[in-house]
Amino acid sequence: MVIFGATGDLSGRKLLPALYNLAKQRSLPAGFAVVGAAMDDLDDGAFRKHATERIKEFSRTQPIDQAVLDAFLTGVFYVKVDFNNLDEFKALQRKLEELDGARHIPGNRIFYCATPPPTYELITKQLQASGLSTGKGFHRIVVEKPFGSDLASARELTSVLQKVFPEDAVYRIDHYLGKETVQNILAFRFANSIFEPVWNSNLIDSVQITVAEEIGIENRGAYYDRAGTLRDIVQNHALQLLTLVAMEPPLAFDANEVRDEKVKVLRAIRPLTEEDVNLASVRGQYTKGWVLGQQVPGYREEKNVAPESSTETFAALRLYVDNWRWAGVPFYIRAGKRLPKRVTEIRIQFKRPPHLTFGRPATKELDPNAITLRIQPEEGISLKFGAKVPSAGLRIRSVTMDFQYMTSFLVEAPEAYERLLLDCMIGDPTLFTRADEVETAWKLIDPIEAAWRDGKPPLGLYAAGTWGPPAAAQLLQADGREWHRP
Amino acid sequence: MAQAVSATSAPQTEAAWHRRDASIADVLAAMSDIRRKFAREEAGDDDAHPHPRSCVMTLIAVATTDAEEQRAQDIARRIAAQHPAQTIVVREQHALRGSQIEAWIHTDVQRPQEACAVQCELVTLHVRGAAGEHLAAIVDPMLVSGVPTYLWWVGTPAFGKRELEDALHICDALIVDSARFDEPAHGFHGLARLTTSAHRQLGVADFQWSRLRTWREMTAQFFSPLERREFLSGISQIAIDYAGDGRGNLVAAGLLTGWLSSSLGWKLRHASSGGGGSASLNFSALRGHPVEVRLRSVDRAGPVEGELCAVRVAGAAQRTTFRLEVELNPPRRRAPEGSSYQALHPVGAHDDAGLELASRRAEQHRGVLHSRLHTLHHTASGGAPGESRPRHPMVHSEDRRRPEKTAQLLLTVIQIGEGQTLRQVQQLEPPDEAELLLDLLAGGTRDAVFQRSLEAANALMRAL
Repeated sequence: MVIFGATGDLSGRKLLPALYNLAKQRSLPAGFAVVGAAMDDLDDGAFRKHATERIKEFSRTQPIDQAVLDAFLTGVFYVKVDFNNLDEFKALQRKLEELDGARHIPGNRIFYCATPPPTYELITKQLQASGLSTGKGFHRIVVEKPFGSDLASARELTSVLQKVFPEDAVYRIDHYLGKETVQNILAFRFANSIFEPVWNSNLIDSVQITVAEEIGIENRGAYYDRAGTLRDIVQNHALQLLTLVAMEPPLAFDANEVRDEKVKVLRAIRPLTEEDVNLASVRGQYTKGWVLGQQVPGYREEKNVAPESSTETFAALRLYVDNWRWAGVPFYIRAGKRLPKRVTEIRIQFKRPPHLTFGRPATKELDPNAITLRIQPEEGISLKFGAKVPSAGLRIRSVTMDFQYMTSFLVEAPEAYERLLLDCMIGDPTLFTRADEVETAWKLIDPIEAAWRDGKPPLGLYAAGTWGPPAAAQLLQADGREWHRP
Repeated sequence: MAQAVSATSAPQTEAAWHRRDASIADVLAAMSDIRRKFAREEAGDDDAHPHPRSCVMTLIAVATTDAEEQRAQDIARRIAAQHPAQTIVVREQHALRGSQIEAWIHTDVQRPQEACAVQCELVTLHVRGAAGEHLAAIVDPMLVSGVPTYLWWVGTPAFGKRELEDALHICDALIVDSARFDEPAHGFHGLARLTTSAHRQLGVADFQWSRLRTWREMTAQFFSPLERREFLSGISQIAIDYAGDGRGNLVAAGLLTGWLSSSLGWKLRHASSGGGGSASLNFSALRGHPVEVRLRSVDRAGPVEGELCAVRVAGAAQRTTFRLEVELNPPRRRAPEGSSYQALHPVGAHDDAGLELASRRAEQHRGVLHSRLHTLHHTASGGAPGESRPRHPMVHSEDRRRPEKTAQLLLTVIQIGEGQTLRQVQQLEPPDEAELLLDLLAGGTRDAVFQRSLEAANALMRAL
């Protein structure tokens, strides 16, 4: 596996620790080697030292097993690569061939672009020009989201990638899909017979998807100020969650079957017209405030952010999936930075019973039934239903039945990247996004983005540590609903 | 002078985790580790039957003094013994500089005989400086999703301040004890205002309302029999005594008056306050006849400031006069000389209530009590003997009047027309704050009767 951008943040925080943990689980193939490729002038020893430090800091399993780490590091190498310099790609080619012989690797290659998206095209072209994209064994390329910044750029990127690699060798990572709890959405829906019959507009009132982060933009000001939450989170993570909740049962848990159904959902989402965008979307930007008990600066005071920036750090949408199953059911999405807590969840809100058998006074404390799929943290599922309060008379109150991964399985869930890296090695693209998924998602997002650029609706400000601008609450209030408090 | 409310001290157990300069992220990570460890320990080798996590609520207690913090911890632990919950006690230390948070996590494991063990978590946060003004930012990340969140402000809530308003947005209900408000009338007004200004699903509950349960029940039971319903429209005078020296805490008296007036549809016509904590309220009832309510403070040892000492209701209907008197720990009066039972049953309490008890025991000794049990044990409801006995409080006629300060007797006197005066003495268990809180939580915090009474009480207290 060649990691471009091997000395960067993604590699250090996620990829190298994930590979170490795969080694610890003995999931890596014999002779497996990691070759770091980046602009920094390092040698193998220096890169191994760098890898050791990152693994020790960011590995989910602690303490580090030194024997495993030592063995893993014997397969870690480094080649300095300036992405503009074809000769250095050729040097990389020679290094890989040398490793093929030394470690008995049958020529299989995974090229992981842990680099900013603008470099994908250049790297792909250099891989082709240097001959690295062909030869014995498989040759796969992994790219991180965002896949383009709009439909046109996504198509362009796909076109560049597909000139060098066939679509089934392109692995677009949306790491959300590697999370156990995200995969469990499918298990919950399609491995149980009791939920699917109620999973439709007959009984479901609405669906809320929340992707909240308490952190700000950290050191990504330059990127984030161009992207914003709509592109950074909604276009990928949030829409992926929506597709998993709304999709029809696939014939099998097979890459194309699953992805076909997801694409159908995306195609069924009613596109927002310019007028709709005004009524059905909210954009916000955080100002200074308090998060987790600490005072934090406003977005415009962050490093590498324009002082007059109108980039959104919060987005909320109301979408409809126009198909038989979901007709008339609103899907509310909200995502943002500097919200009160880090939480991702999907809430399925059911309709109230058609008739109040027990009368309004008895049920005034009864909320509608709801299923909450908690993606992170405290991963699990809860079901809210009404129960009689044990006392004289008849009073019904909502209670919650909980399932929690942490206390139910007693095993650590693997990091999303562990699962995804392994899937890529064995050639299973089920949990990776296909080109048509990406493009269909951009088709939905582009009109919203265009209207937002024109200032419609106006940017709402919210204090860091709150749940977005007032318009976010109003979006649901207008429908007689309110956001669930995660 | 009414005694001040005393704080109970929490048992000091070793914290499962403590950090002097903690971030909320540290606390979250520590809680996660503690939960995981507990689940593993309880599961043992049995992977097939994983240990479920139980939690029925998150209780946030906000304290501003050592005594309040101790009280909150103590009550939280006692509640947790029966109801698995996560409690967060936030001790605000605005006056201290810096924005440091010191955090402790205590865990109590309950092992019911026929169910799996549950772990209750008590998180204590000492929040210094300005961070304490952003309560929501501190506790929101810790809330357990899907279960109700109750905000218990142990002292006087920060009415009108953003700190409280922000916190209310993340809670299902606010719980206060209006008996403990620093400025009772002002605080009560703030509480009433919240019910209209806060988010629409916010519940509000008051310990004081729970303490009034006995008084409300005794009053309602008097009017409960069908033949006495007409008396409701004949009420003409009400007198309420509350503990205090001068005009102290009128909240309980106001709430009871608010409950009566809002239930019976009375309109306030005139309100005036006199010296020494007395007040006069004039209402017009539905049929237009006047109702006079008099409130006065009485200096009693025993009850806490503002606690009700006596309620007297009088009136006439259907050409019959009626009178209901309910009195807490009635003052000692002269004992009749030479009473036969006195020699037999010295009680050391020569007041009406003590004499009543002694009299009963004398009868019991003569073998009379047993045969006349039903007639002696009539309840205030006036129902058939043996029926309609109030669930709260229990009647313990054979108990000796307890000498402890906490013992409470409730004397009820009923006079209807020219009939015999009916008397009843009940011994009340001293009010237990953990039980009061549980009563509020179990009974629901969206009590329409309380809300209505609160609004009516606020209106009349503002008129005074």
